[in-house]
Amino acid sequence: MMLQDGSTQVLCLTANSGVPLFTRGASKQLPFSVIGSLNGVHMFGDGQGVVLSSCQTDCGGRVVWRVFHDSVMLIAVNGGHGSTGVIQGHVKGEELFLERLLENIWNCMVLVLGRDELTNMRNVERLKKDLRSCFGLIDQLLEDRHQGIMGNLTHCADCLLPPNPALVQEAVNGFTQSVDSEFGCLVVHGRVAAATENWWRLAPQEVILLSALMRMLSSSGSASCDYPVFLPQGSPTVAHRLLRFQLLPGADVCVLCGPTPSLQKAQSDLVRQFWSPLVETLRDCLAVGERCLPGTVSLRVPDVLALLVLNREARRSVSCVRPSADDSPTLPSKARCWELLRLFYIFAATRYFSQEEAPVPGALAEEKAHSRSSASGDFVAGFPHQPLQCYLVTEECKCYGLQTQQHQLFLLTPLSVPTFALRNVATQTLLAVTADTGF
Amino acid sequence: MAQDLPPESIIIADWHRCAESKDFFNRILHKKKRKQFGLLESPMMAPHVAVETVQYKVFLSGKSGVGKTSLAARLAGLSSPNMHYETTGIETIVLYWPVKLRENGRVLFFRLQLWDCGENALRRFDHFLPSCKEQVDAVLFLFSFTDRTSFDDLPNQITRWSGPSNRIVKMVVGTKFDLFMHSDVTQREVRQFQDTQGLPVLRTGGEVSDGLGDVAPFLNCLAERLWNQDCMAATLPSGPTHYREGALI
Ligand SMILES: Nc1nc2c(ncn2[C@@H]2O[C@H](COP(=O)(O)OP(=O)(O)OP(=O)(O)O)[C@@H](O)[C@H]2O)c(=O)[nH]1
Ligand SMILES: [Mg+2]
Repeated sequence: MMLQDGSTQVLCLTANSGVPLFTRGASKQLPFSVIGSLNGVHMFGDGQGVVLSSCQTDCGGRVVWRVFHDSVMLIAVNGGHGSTGVIQGHVKGEELFLERLLENIWNCMVLVLGRDELTNMRNVERLKKDLRSCFGLIDQLLEDRHQGIMGNLTHCADCLLPPNPALVQEAVNGFTQSVDSEFGCLVVHGRVAAATENWWRLAPQEVILLSALMRMLSSSGSASCDYPVFLPQGSPTVAHRLLRFQLLPGADVCVLCGPTPSLQKAQSDLVRQFWSPLVETLRDCLAVGERCLPGTVSLRVPDVLALLVLNREARRSVSCVRPSADDSPTLPSKARCWELLRLFYIFAATRYFSQEEAPVPGALAEEKAHSRSSASGDFVAGFPHQPLQCYLVTEECKCYGLQTQQHQLFLLTPLSVPTFALRNVATQTLLAVTADTGF
Repeated sequence: MAQDLPPESIIIADWHRCAESKDFFNRILHKKKRKQFGLLESPMMAPHVAVETVQYKVFLSGKSGVGKTSLAARLAGLSSPNMHYETTGIETIVLYWPVKLRENGRVLFFRLQLWDCGENALRRFDHFLPSCKEQVDAVLFLFSFTDRTSFDDLPNQITRWSGPSNRIVKMVVGTKFDLFMHSDVTQREVRQFQDTQGLPVLRTGGEVSDGLGDVAPFLNCLAERLWNQDCMAATLPSGPTHYREGALI
């Protein structure tokens, strides 16, 4: 492959004529001839009545194709891995990751431009120009994986559990009502700290995407925003307004609303009224930091390297990497821990644990069934029962996966933890995270 | 046009270099960089030092890619990407700037909220312009030294904002001045424009250094004009309409 190890590039072309619309990701673009071939081979399959959806190269690179609404084709190309760690060896490339990535990127395009603009392709040159307005959000998605964001992959919203959930919940509800909306959300360090009930009724993909948008807007350091957003499932052709306010650096509140109130009005009249009394509470939320769990949750520190807990019904997740991971030379670095956690999630989720998602209306359900069958592979299909736990020992760390009716835990421990103790550590960790927090 | 305000006649220029200003400028700095303030925050002074805060809304106007988002970030001391990411809605940036009045030695904190709306978004959605115009105090008309059409379009833009009764400070900003090698607009043309329109033209561009000196002339010029507009509007000697109490958290 002509891409660097592990880097991902996304190509967008018109579905019927293969005109390149844009490329994102990876510093070095694939040569035009390669792009042409990737499109050509897909077209060839099409002509034979075959849908080419994915393929793998000798050195572990992978290509995934996907056509959306007969109008746009997205192709994801992954550069493969130089190292041949145990996890990588077992993961079927990164198919799941790439499939989700393409879906997210399509949704990104809908969110910014609306579906009509993308499907009524009258003027390709104009569309090409308009698509540039999506680059900020697309690049945010491509960058997210380096910053400990798992939601793009898990389709469970990355959350931060605040020390005083009732107070912030009340404020979010009150503030949202005051702008005549039912959709409001408080984001701390790029993760959802509280949201209204209806926010959680948005499609999981929408929640993920709006979180990414909030991270993008927040990182620019702006104080407030008024952004038009189309909801890929809920409202793909009519734009809503996303109003966002930076309460404190790192703590942002947003609401989805209609034509009123104006940004000016909401900001000058309502923000202070609802949030001034909560400054200290918000600072406490910020202090939770990357750990994402309040101080009351105590983890067995030497045994836990990284963890990801999903609430399967609520489509939410918390994850963290032990902050001290960078200090010890014998442990994988923090960045590597995030990478390993991602890989282990893909490994366990595709091989052992089925992907149960909240029901999504219409076309998506069909797409989901497709991705499930290809992702879970033949392994699970061969058994009448569902595996509840799994573990893996690699040369860098040990991994343990555990699922209950409500939760899934993906845990990394240092090699020093005896393998027979893993189950115990995992059970205790899941309990510690969920018991007091109600997560 | 009543824009014959001699520069630095109202506020003390280069005040940020005086020792006595240190205490005030330290409030907008953090580890030698500009401090970021959330909407619930403002610079905090010692309890016995009462400083008034005056608030203004400033709109940035100019075609896509001219450098509105970059200018807003520069003035607030934020980093901005080298890539051009189109702004697909309204983004506002808040910055604080302390100023000392020449007349009576009073110190004020200017709270400037810069309203930046992507040009393409402005065209696609018609609720943005009214929202940006609502209670606006100043408009900065941006052109880029590397884009001739953006300069030629200025008179057009400016007339769109000239109502009979509106009190709006207007300034012109030439961006990408650092790329003068590729300049499409000559200095003579700029001077000529300045004379015929009676508007000040500021220049910006180049590496952003952390220092205050980078933005001080710009912000002082803007602050001065905003304050002057308020003073002229106020019939009472007690002061301008934008006076807000220094509600410090
Ligand atoms: N060299 C140089 N580049 C600049 C300057 N100002 C902006 N740029 C570059 O010009 C490009 C566009 O700048 P933006 O600030 O994003 O443009 P904008 O006016 O906000 O554009 P829209 O949001 O699309 O309306 C970016 O790549 C910037 O890095 C400058 O003063 N000097
Ligand atoms: Mg912009």
